[in-house]
Amino acid sequence: MSANSTPIYADNAATSFPKPRAVLDAVSSVLAGVSLSPGRAAHRFSLESSRLIFDTREALAELFNCPDSSRIAFTCNVTESLNVGIFGLAGVQLHPGDHVITTALEHNSVMRPLRYLEKSADISISMLPVSGEGEVLVSELPRLMRDNTRLIVANHVSNVTGAVADIEAIGRQKGDALFLVDAAQSAGVFPIDVMRMNIDMLAFTGHKSLLGPTGSGGFYLRQGLALRPLKMGGTGSNSETEIQPDFMPDLYEAGTPNTLGIAGLGVGVNFVSSTGLAIIREHEKRLCHLFLDGVARMKGITVFGPSAAQERAAVISLRVKGKSESEVAQSLDRDFNIMVRAGLHCAPAAHRAIGTFAEGTVRFSFGLFNTEADVAACLRALEIICKN
Amino acid sequence: MSARPGDNLQKLNSMWSPVKQTATCVVILFSIHFVLKAEKLLKRSGISHDVIPVPREISSDCGMAVEFSCLEKERVVDLLSSAGMRIAGLYRRDGKNSFQPLSQEHIAAHAVN
Repeated sequence: MSANSTPIYADNAATSFPKPRAVLDAVSSVLAGVSLSPGRAAHRFSLESSRLIFDTREALAELFNCPDSSRIAFTCNVTESLNVGIFGLAGVQLHPGDHVITTALEHNSVMRPLRYLEKSADISISMLPVSGEGEVLVSELPRLMRDNTRLIVANHVSNVTGAVADIEAIGRQKGDALFLVDAAQSAGVFPIDVMRMNIDMLAFTGHKSLLGPTGSGGFYLRQGLALRPLKMGGTGSNSETEIQPDFMPDLYEAGTPNTLGIAGLGVGVNFVSSTGLAIIREHEKRLCHLFLDGVARMKGITVFGPSAAQERAAVISLRVKGKSESEVAQSLDRDFNIMVRAGLHCAPAAHRAIGTFAEGTVRFSFGLFNTEADVAACLRALEIICKN
Repeated sequence: MSARPGDNLQKLNSMWSPVKQTATCVVILFSIHFVLKAEKLLKRSGISHDVIPVPREISSDCGMAVEFSCLEKERVVDLLSSAGMRIAGLYRRDGKNSFQPLSQEHIAAHAVN
């Protein structure tokens, strides 16, 4: 067997790697210098920390077309953002007897909070079904809408099938319901315009296609919408009162933030914006097309999700006939120096929808820094694994 | 990296120092985010200003405020209002440690957003 001399990283849907050099430099210079307590003191290090965080907020607001950057709050990751969104609505906007619509492609970071509320807060849940190619059938939305539908939660890009949901169409048909979008896999690759898409809350993570460090993430919340914060505490503002500030971003940002991560994220977002989403998307589409084309020629490989690269993200789930998912992933890593992910990808409903529950799939996910040579190496390895 | 982390800020602060010969105004905003937003807007409009700790005489809050020449007061208030920013307080500096609150007309209620 021919191991590749340098490791090939094809697990960008989990965390993107590598990061732009500028992100590393930003994180280390902050750690070496100004990573103190933003907004808590008048000295220049504190002010500089605040400035780094402010700049990241402004860069994200521009990327998502948020009219006011104070409507973006930082969290540790998209899971926290989705939890703030779902649990923060409970008892405020979401009451016993209310109805929620979500999709069969949701990650557990949406499904577990929703299932918890279903049991503990008498919320009912309907799921938008999925086509044979693993795409959300948005056309079914009107049939599922009820008078008491208070919330719609939808995954923009599936971390299992790579399918892209038409969130603009959902936003158009949401009526009086609130619309929460999980942009974990899409932010930094696909255009997201919170105004045009009628999004009330957008949850994103920093460490995937926005090219920031792990431990960075956040959400956008529409003007006029308030949630119950999951944590309260020091914000550096209104210090004379024991009541949590009622304005964003402070309302949702108690405690010393992850200045390092947020500073790195800001540089990642700037890298994405200056490269251009269209160019990033075109690159990933090209790699996806090459990979799909290659595996289509191999006997014994089943690919899940949309068959055309232009209709999907470069997140590709597959199975090799006669081999377990973990066996394939282990061989790729050990024998070929290729890193992918195997299993259920934290989305059991999505696996049920495409018929890969409970074994899961082998998932290749390509990012901005993968090359055509990487894809070719993945194809060669799969070919050998199929034959053995 | 030879530059020390504070160097830039020092440079910027000395560049932006308001003309101390004229009377200055101090605007209080709701948090550091809005102070930095105000700084960005003022900088873009070429209005010289300083970001200063909220004077103890105005509030015991541990935040920052923006100081600028009173000649620019209307422009600053217009800039901030048209960006949708709420002003928590507006003062004229009467002496080193003395501040006079200005009319409340521009000061938004501390409403829930």
